Amino acid sequence: MTSHISRRDFLRLAGAAAGAAAATAANAALAPQARAAAPAQAPQWESKFGVCDMCFNRCGLIARVEKGVIRKLDPNPKFTKSRGMLCARGNAGVDQVYDPERLKTPLLRTGKRGEGRWKEVGWDEALEICAGRMKDIAAKYTRCGMLFSAGADTQSQFVNRFAEAFGSYNVTSHESLCLLSGNRAFVDTFGEVPLPDVKNSKYVILAGANRLEALVTPDSMDLVSIMKDGAKVVVLDPRYTKSAALASEWHAIHPGTDLAFMLALAHVIIAEKLYDAKFVAERTSGLDKLSAHVADKTPQWAEGETGIPAADIARIARELAAAAPAAMVYPGRRSSDYENSTQIRRGFAIVNALLGNWDRPGGLVPPRPAGVKKVPFEPPFYDDNPPGRVDAKGVPLLFDDEGSFVLTRDAVIKGAPYPVKGWFVYKTNPMATAPERRKTREMIEALDFLVVADIAMSDTAWMADLVLPMPSALERQDPVQALQAGAEGACLVWRDPVIAPLHQSRPVFEVLKALSGKLGFPEAFDFDIATYREKQLAAFPEAAEILKRDGVFYPPNPPLGTTDGQPFKTPSQKIELYSNRYADMGLDPLPVYQTPKPSPDAGRRFRLVAGRSACVTQASSTNNALLSEFEPENTLWLNEDSAKELGVRQGDLVQVESPAGRGELKALVTPKIRKDTVYMLSGFGTISGQLKRSRVGASIVELMESRHDAICGNSAIHETFVSVKKKGAA
Amino acid sequence: MNRKLAMVIDSAKCIDCKACVAACKQANGVARGQRRNWIKEAVPPLENGPDGNRKLGRGHFQPGACMHCDEPSCVAACPTGATFKNAADGTVVIDPRLCIGCGNCIPSCPYGARFRDTQRRIADKCDYCPERRAAGLSPACVDTCPTKARVFGDINDPDSEAAKLLAANQGRVVRVIAKQNDTKPNMYYIASTAPDGWAVQPVNPLSFDALTQVVAPLVKYAVGLSGLGVLAMLARQLVTSGTAGKDGGSHGAGQAPVPPETGSGTGKEDGHDAR
Repeated sequence: MTSHISRRDFLRLAGAAAGAAAATAANAALAPQARAAAPAQAPQWESKFGVCDMCFNRCGLIARVEKGVIRKLDPNPKFTKSRGMLCARGNAGVDQVYDPERLKTPLLRTGKRGEGRWKEVGWDEALEICAGRMKDIAAKYTRCGMLFSAGADTQSQFVNRFAEAFGSYNVTSHESLCLLSGNRAFVDTFGEVPLPDVKNSKYVILAGANRLEALVTPDSMDLVSIMKDGAKVVVLDPRYTKSAALASEWHAIHPGTDLAFMLALAHVIIAEKLYDAKFVAERTSGLDKLSAHVADKTPQWAEGETGIPAADIARIARELAAAAPAAMVYPGRRSSDYENSTQIRRGFAIVNALLGNWDRPGGLVPPRPAGVKKVPFEPPFYDDNPPGRVDAKGVPLLFDDEGSFVLTRDAVIKGAPYPVKGWFVYKTNPMATAPERRKTREMIEALDFLVVADIAMSDTAWMADLVLPMPSALERQDPVQALQAGAEGACLVWRDPVIAPLHQSRPVFEVLKALSGKLGFPEAFDFDIATYREKQLAAFPEAAEILKRDGVFYPPNPPLGTTDGQPFKTPSQKIELYSNRYADMGLDPLPVYQTPKPSPDAGRRFRLVAGRSACVTQASSTNNALLSEFEPENTLWLNEDSAKELGVRQGDLVQVESPAGRGELKALVTPKIRKDTVYMLSGFGTISGQLKRSRVGASIVELMESRHDAICGNSAIHETFVSVKKKGAA
Repeated sequence: MNRKLAMVIDSAKCIDCKACVAACKQANGVARGQRRNWIKEAVPPLENGPDGNRKLGRGHFQPGACMHCDEPSCVAACPTGATFKNAADGTVVIDPRLCIGCGNCIPSCPYGARFRDTQRRIADKCDYCPERRAAGLSPACVDTCPTKARVFGDINDPDSEAAKLLAANQGRVVRVIAKQNDTKPNMYYIASTAPDGWAVQPVNPLSFDALTQVVAPLVKYAVGLSGLGVLAMLARQLVTSGTAGKDGGSHGAGQAPVPPETGSGTGKEDGHDAR
């Protein structure tokens, strides 16, 4: 790329008319060689609606099915939430279905845990074993001795229902390894978790959210569209991500200092009276306390923390306020970064509140009404159960229905406050997603019984006693799910199988229904999916027909602004800039910035940060035959100057070490990351004998320390410092 | 007027997500390690940040594929007439029944758009998904693109989306062309695009260069079929048999995956950073 030839040699201006004229002449000149090709035949396929399951976005798709085999997955143009697209992962869904390494039959462990010796068993035997072990654990340790963990899946609601009927409070989801800090912050500020109306925004600050790679529909697509129309997108990231590359401006912020940036924005907006005074007076509480809190949080101060020039911080604050209310600090999704991530995200929420962008086009909007009815049941009461969740005492503001995986794991290992000896896992994979894998292993070793239901032999399944093969999302019938798309409102989707289930796979719904019978609470699953869906759609008699016709149903969507004058769902019924609840609990009522602690060990000079690309959804995608072509192995992003100091060259194998463990992977030497930071993708480094493609390159879970958010127990995966050395170097 | 199928790309909208590459591979059963289309990354400019440190400036990604040129060097390089310009719609087509896998067309393309399909052992490249078009669908890459950076259509039809986009951007549309050899590509980039230095001088086999000057195309077609092609195919198979590597498996439904393909069909890096 060091060519000195002038650009115009390679790029020719091609006016449309000129192009067409030249083409006609050229066609004439080439006439002797040109001939007509035989017309192509349209494929003999059936087109069936589906909903993607390669990540949490749930994009509507059309499966092209020929003689019972899926040939291609295409986007459903009627599914506007995804802007009619299907990403690389969505396209790769076919390879998930036909992966020859997929789980085919129930498997019973015959060797040691993780040894990979299995016996194929029939479903009757598998269900009998599962019910028997669960019954034993309930009898010996109470019903809370069973832990249930279900991933982001449309049928996960049945796992939670089952846990409730079985009588265990101990339920965790993937979310406590991902987004709960952000949710905590927005619930405690606005009373609910808003959605960003990116499509109508004129100014968006993406702090740490790599939205052009870690795709979220429709936000990712809308960011590109609004930039084309002149909106400004400011990215703060220690890494030159694709979002940073394409943004209006990028600042390589010092990791862990986003709150300093937010407080400085608040300082400028308040000091220069740039906030929406009417909105702040009527609908927020605590401006006076916030003003005092940020009085000394000047851009000059923040420059020292963030490394972003004070003039830029002040300018960004003014530009943001000038664009309000069609402006936002993007709330982000994954917020499992730091031990004070809830407070960091409170900072995001507070700046949004000052902008008066609530329920306004281009701002933050409350979730739109979806109208899906719950299908209630009466859970039994078991009076011998312990008083609460096993992780209840770990942090002050745990989400009761999500828990904290990191704290639950500690409790299982310790056997305190009470023993948890059984674990039912459905389509989630803590062995590959929870920090410090050796502790997850320790937790599993402490169990009497681990059953994993999944499509593939995940690293967690590899450690199980019993493995149950699940159909992919293209092979099963699913309940109705509501999906939110900013101000455009909710949309409803469901799934019907586009092909018959492969192998002996059986949906978790049927597994749970069978188990509920064996365990004596059949009334909790006294329905099939079809009748469940009818109940869910009771408010919309026309929805079923439309779902069959279009693959998606849009319930009525009220215009923005309908919450004006309504109380917020907070104790003060206002947006809580200052949180009295936090004050009462002894927590900082306003987010207090702390300079990130330096590495405790000079040898571990790099902060490790993690993320994903548009071809990676954590560990569930890295073994995919197609996606592994794009991301064949994990690499360590290492700044080129740092690499030089370490004597590491492009592609060298490096050894990375932290107090949590060690790993080896290739160095990707690049100018695209700060000198004090290294980066890895999630996924890879698999231990499962049936995930052979994704073994190369260490997994973040070998390196990340088990830290958690002090308020809500969300994992805090960016608190780890690592050492890096070339393999073989002293 | 004949149809003229073309792609109009707003590369400023490309986020390098690889959806187009994945969709193409799935739609066309392209072997592991090979690809009919691509996304290139421009080397971001280095700017001086306010603190004196170097800082990377705005990045740019560029989707591409066979440009279905009006004066395609690959057609000239093909000894059998397997590669030809489709008079009906302007596409450059490979007739798999006539292709002998000689590989001459591969270096003759200045854009690296061609490769030798490791499964069928013949030349392959983007064909704008004729089966999908026959079913009334867009090419797979266009249909799936998250930001709709790729727009496809008949630019001789003023009502097509592609023609409208060209008309709306008159005077601003650019093409990437080979240095000193404008093959008249039909890949139109809106306003600007980068990188721009990847197109190279096509390499035509010497013998065929001579041949094309004296032999009329139809005669060449006949010669190709009668014997020269068979000889060329034999020579090619002998030369490549040791280096072609294992055949890649299809990513089509129901087929078993195979070990990674070691030898790339084009023998060229496409110059983009996998990140």
